[in-house]
Formats: sequence, C-alpha cells, structure tokens
Amino acid sequence: MKKTITILCIILTFFLIYFLQANFFTWFNINGIMPNLYVILVLFIGLFMKRKLGMTFGVLFGLYIDIVLGKNVGISALTLGVIGMIGEILSKNFSKDSRFIVTFMVIITTILYEVSVYLLTILRTEGTLELLAFFKILMVEVLFNTLITIIIYPIIKKAGYYVENLFDDKFILTRYF
Amino acid sequence: MYRNKKTGIIGIIITIIILITIVIISNMKIEDFSHIGGALSSFVMPVQNGITYIKNKISGNEAFFSDMATLKEENKTLKERNSELEKSLRELEVIKSENETLKEYVNLKDKYTEYTTIPGYVINKNTSNYSNIIVINIGEKDGISAGMPVIADEGLVGHVISVTGTTAKVQTLLDASSAVSSVVGTARDAVVVKGNLQDTSKLKGTYIPTTATLLEGDKVETSGLGGIYPKGITIGTVKQVVETKNLTNRYILIEPAVNFEKLETVLVITK
Repeated sequence: MKKTITILCIILTFFLIYFLQANFFTWFNINGIMPNLYVILVLFIGLFMKRKLGMTFGVLFGLYIDIVLGKNVGISALTLGVIGMIGEILSKNFSKDSRFIVTFMVIITTILYEVSVYLLTILRTEGTLELLAFFKILMVEVLFNTLITIIIYPIIKKAGYYVENLFDDKFILTRYF
Repeated sequence: MYRNKKTGIIGIIITIIILITIVIISNMKIEDFSHIGGALSSFVMPVQNGITYIKNKISGNEAFFSDMATLKEENKTLKERNSELEKSLRELEVIKSENETLKEYVNLKDKYTEYTTIPGYVINKNTSNYSNIIVINIGEKDGISAGMPVIADEGLVGHVISVTGTTAKVQTLLDASSAVSSVVGTARDAVVVKGNLQDTSKLKGTYIPTTATLLEGDKVETSGLGGIYPKGITIGTVKQVVETKNLTNRYILIEPAVNFEKLETVLVITK
C-alpha cells in the first residue's frame, strides 16, 4: 500500500514539474533559459528506488514528454531511461549523504541528458549544429539545476531515504556492514 | 549537529537569494533600473525636503502649509475617488481584453480571406530550451493534418508537425530546426530563414545571394517555394545585416512579425 502511494506521489511530482516547466519557469528564468527538473526527478528515482524503477520511470516520463511536446518520439524516453539507469549505478558507488556529491551527479546527468537530446534531435531533424550557442544555454541550465538541487537537497535526502527504506529491504545491512 | 543544521539552512537561504537575484537581473531591461534610482533618491529626499522647508520658512513661504486641515480633507476625498476610478478601470480592462480577443479572431479571418482557415488557441508551450513547439486546441477532428501552415494576425507562425484528435503540435519559426524559403525587400532576394540557438527571439536569414543588397528594415516574406508555406506571408523585418569575411557566409537577423511570447490565437491554413 505504502509503495503504491509512493509511486503515485512520484507520478504527481512529475506532473507538478511538468506544469512548473510549462508555466512558472517561462517567466522565472535566467535570460529565457529554464532549468530541467525532469533530470533531477529521474536521477532521484534511480538513486533511491533502484529495482530498475529509475529506468522504467525515466522511459515513461520521457515518452510522455515526447508525445505531448516533442518533435520526435523516443529521444527523451531513451535519454531519461539512461539517466535513471545511471542513477542506480551511482547509488551503488557513491554516498548520497553529501550535498556536494548529489549536486555533482545532477550536473553530470544534466549535461549528459541535454547533449544526447540535442545531438539526437540534430541527427533526426537535419538541423544546423550550433555548438557554441548550445553550450552557452547548457551552462546556464546546469547552473540553474545546481542552485535548485542545493535548495531542495534536504527534501531530496529526507524523501530519498524514506523511499529507499520502503523499496530496498537490504538497506540496513548494506548501510551498516 | 545544531550548528551544521543552522549552517545548512543559511546556505539554502543564500542560494535562494542568489537564484532569485540572477533571475531578476537577467530579465531586467536598463529602464528597470529607474527603480534603483528612485530608491536611492528616497535616501536623499527627506533631507532635501527639510532643507526646502527651512528655505521656504526663511523666504516667507510658510503660508503654503497653513491650510493643512483643508488639504487633508481634500486628500481623503481624492483617495476615495481614486479607488472608485481604479475599480472601474479594472472592469474596463477585462472588457477591453475580451473585446481584443474577439477582434483578433475577426481580423484574422478578414485578413486571410484567400485561404481556407481554421482558428485555434495556443494551449501549451514546450518545456525545453532547445526547441520551440506550441500545442493548439484543434486537431484531426477539425480537419488539421501535418504539414499545414500556421499564421497569426501579424504573420507566419510555423507549421503543424503532428496531430491528435483534438490537438496539433506546431513547430514555430523560432525552432532551431525550422527553415523557410523567403524573399527580402523590394528586390525580392531569396534567403532561407531559420531559427537559431544564439538568439532565440530572432530569426536568421542565410544563403544570401552575393549580389543582393539588403538593408535594415526590409520586409521578409515567404517565397512560396518548398511546398509548405503559401507565397507572400509576412515573416518579419531585417533587424541587422551581419557581414562576414566571406561574402557567401553573411547573414541577416530578422525580428519576427509575430510576438511568440504573447501568441494566443492562430489560424491553420487548410487550403
């Protein structure tokens, strides 16, 4: 029951992020550049829920974004799925107790996500490659995501360990032995 | 532990302040700094008022302040009147806005009588920094299909890239992967107008013929080539001609005729 409610909360959070991205961040932005909260959400799921849920949610959320607003179906689904998978790998190798490490993970995954989506879109649509302009936007987006992660880290940590306890039965053993 | 928690909260507050400051500054126009000027002058104004008061006293102008009670009464009446007027103004604003939307619909229909069009509303905008897609509230059931051009009162918006039963996705001109065959100015020089990431509010005109003479303010419109957009639809005006070492690489920056940030009503050309 608790697990079902948690999954429902994750889905609700996704829709909340969707509306924030489509409305709030269209005016609360840095020089017209918005953050990418989807990456933070999927990374969070991968880091704390494991059981391939990061990848599954990543693919599902990505598919939704692609179908509703994307130019090509599959690009966001693929990249967000990979981010979820990376989250699971990172959770096994790095501590989530450090704000710095979690922020660093967000930076790396944001760069990875945007570079992949941009290159795949260019390949699919035969658009012009504007590397310098792309990196300028990417840097601002990474800064935005970093600041947001620093702000919401206490929530990430608290909610994360609650979810981890719920979904990972071996949690106590791996943590203390 | 307590200290760490306290430091953490301070850190979060500082980060929030930094984020808000960056957002505000990045979206500010130079005129907006007039508020700072006002705030700074408010430091000086009390002193300045005091000096003026003393100066007036000395020069015998104190009669100006003598009828303070009358002035207060008058001020109260004016304030009440002002709030009443503000209320009526707000009501008028609502009526005006409704009127404008209806007018926009009628104007749009009248302006493009040579085309068969279907009006629609923008219901969603994309959430990515690298593409520019809008979603409109008409779809397959209304006779919309992929590839149809979309226009607004001021000019070209883009074209439909996919449809569902009740909605359609429109790739706007500002999207980095859009390209429209166009003509510039009275000489009708052919250029390809594209969206770009460098300045996402402007369009880039490339593949300019070496013999073409382009000027700022020249009108850019669709050429009719390419099979998607009809001929003669306004795209925008030339804002800047950027010369490069190689004449074939020069390009123009175009101010779109349509204000994409405030775009609400569109027309899809079906025929």
